[in-house]
Amino acid sequence: MSGDLDLEQRYRRVLRLLPGYYRERWEDDMVGTFLDGWLTGDTEADEYISQAARPEWAEVASVACLAARLYLGGAGTPRRYFAWGQAVRRAVLAVMLVHAVLGLDVLVRTAWSRRLFGLPAPSAILTIFSPGGVWPTVYYLVNFAWIVIFVALVLGRYRTAQITAVLAIAAALVGLLQAQLTGIMPAPFASWAFWVPLSLAPALAMAAFHRDAPPPARWPWLLALPAGDLLVIVPLLALQASSNFAWVPDFPGQCCLLVALACLAYAPRAWSHRAAGSGAWSLALVLLAAAAGAYRIASLTEYLHDPHLIMVGLGELLILGTAAALVAPDAARAQAATPAQPPDPHPMAA
Amino acid sequence: MTGQAFFVLTALADGPRHGYGIVGEVADLSQGRVRLKIGGLYGVLDRLAAEGLIEPDREEAHDGRLRRYYRLTRDGRVALAEEAELRAATARVVRVRLGLAGAEAAG
Repeated sequence: MSGDLDLEQRYRRVLRLLPGYYRERWEDDMVGTFLDGWLTGDTEADEYISQAARPEWAEVASVACLAARLYLGGAGTPRRYFAWGQAVRRAVLAVMLVHAVLGLDVLVRTAWSRRLFGLPAPSAILTIFSPGGVWPTVYYLVNFAWIVIFVALVLGRYRTAQITAVLAIAAALVGLLQAQLTGIMPAPFASWAFWVPLSLAPALAMAAFHRDAPPPARWPWLLALPAGDLLVIVPLLALQASSNFAWVPDFPGQCCLLVALACLAYAPRAWSHRAAGSGAWSLALVLLAAAAGAYRIASLTEYLHDPHLIMVGLGELLILGTAAALVAPDAARAQAATPAQPPDPHPMAA
Repeated sequence: MTGQAFFVLTALADGPRHGYGIVGEVADLSQGRVRLKIGGLYGVLDRLAAEGLIEPDREEAHDGRLRRYYRLTRDGRVALAEEAELRAATARVVRVRLGLAGAEAAG
């Protein structure tokens, strides 16, 4: 029970948030510095302080932030934590890419609908008009914010991306609440099933983009934005325009199949890398599969009236799970790798 | 170099200090504007040690606990001097642009 602990024990319990290798090197020093800030040297006063005081929330938060930076490691951290950091960064970039591709699609179709390209007007099903009302407009503009967030992350402007992401998810949350309260639900995007795994979770995971994080490969990610629009969105819109859309999966299903395809495409490399086994991409794909699976499961509640659609959704989950299982062993090897103890840069002289 | 790292290196410029000594010195140097939390301090110390800018100096017993002192390395002194020069040059430009440099010289 925390009531039986003294101040030092309480602080040591907070420090359990940190990875073992880091505690081994710094814990006693951190505890000493922490207690220096509390204890007075007067035995009676110190005994009272030791029993009554607790680490402040700001201290706990500073340790939590340090733990996030260490577990989602950058350069110089043990291989296991570096693999986790790289996997989370790549998974976040992939989700941001999906958001940015959707945003780019809205941007292009809005411009096209306004005949800014000098082309004939698109068919009615492809036309986008700016919505009326404040919150629908805000919700609509959030689409474009994701393009800014994705590009900022790729260019290494992490703080810009993180601040914009906070604003975007807050605006999307208000739009979501407004849509629910007024009964207008522009599915699939204005739903908790979408907002939690595909907006909130990746925005929180942006903590992995800290100053020790290596910059992402700039050009492949930047080129993926127009490529994603051309290879995914354009064919889907063409099917929609040609009225052959009935057999196309809904958006959660598309996410599942997209991740499954990525797992299948990477599986040969995951198996060939078994000896070297960096595994960060495999781990990223497993994280993406988890997010897509969570999205699929949460969105199935909308289909409870239709057993056929439930079966289709379960089939998509089965495909996703099978594909993810192909890369899971490589991912497990990466995250279970023995943390290589980095050399102590400052061994104490005898 | 971040502001926190600059303050920590400056706190060690005139001699070795232990963790709590660094916290206090940084608060004094920044006139109370920078109050390092322990997690933040050791994040900075860990990074500076990894970059070879600081190193342990000695350990001393205090109230039954060991205090570890840190000192600047040669590279740390060079890095701090370069950063201080950069910041001083920037400050000089700011003072000129605000019209403060001439007034000071006249005063």
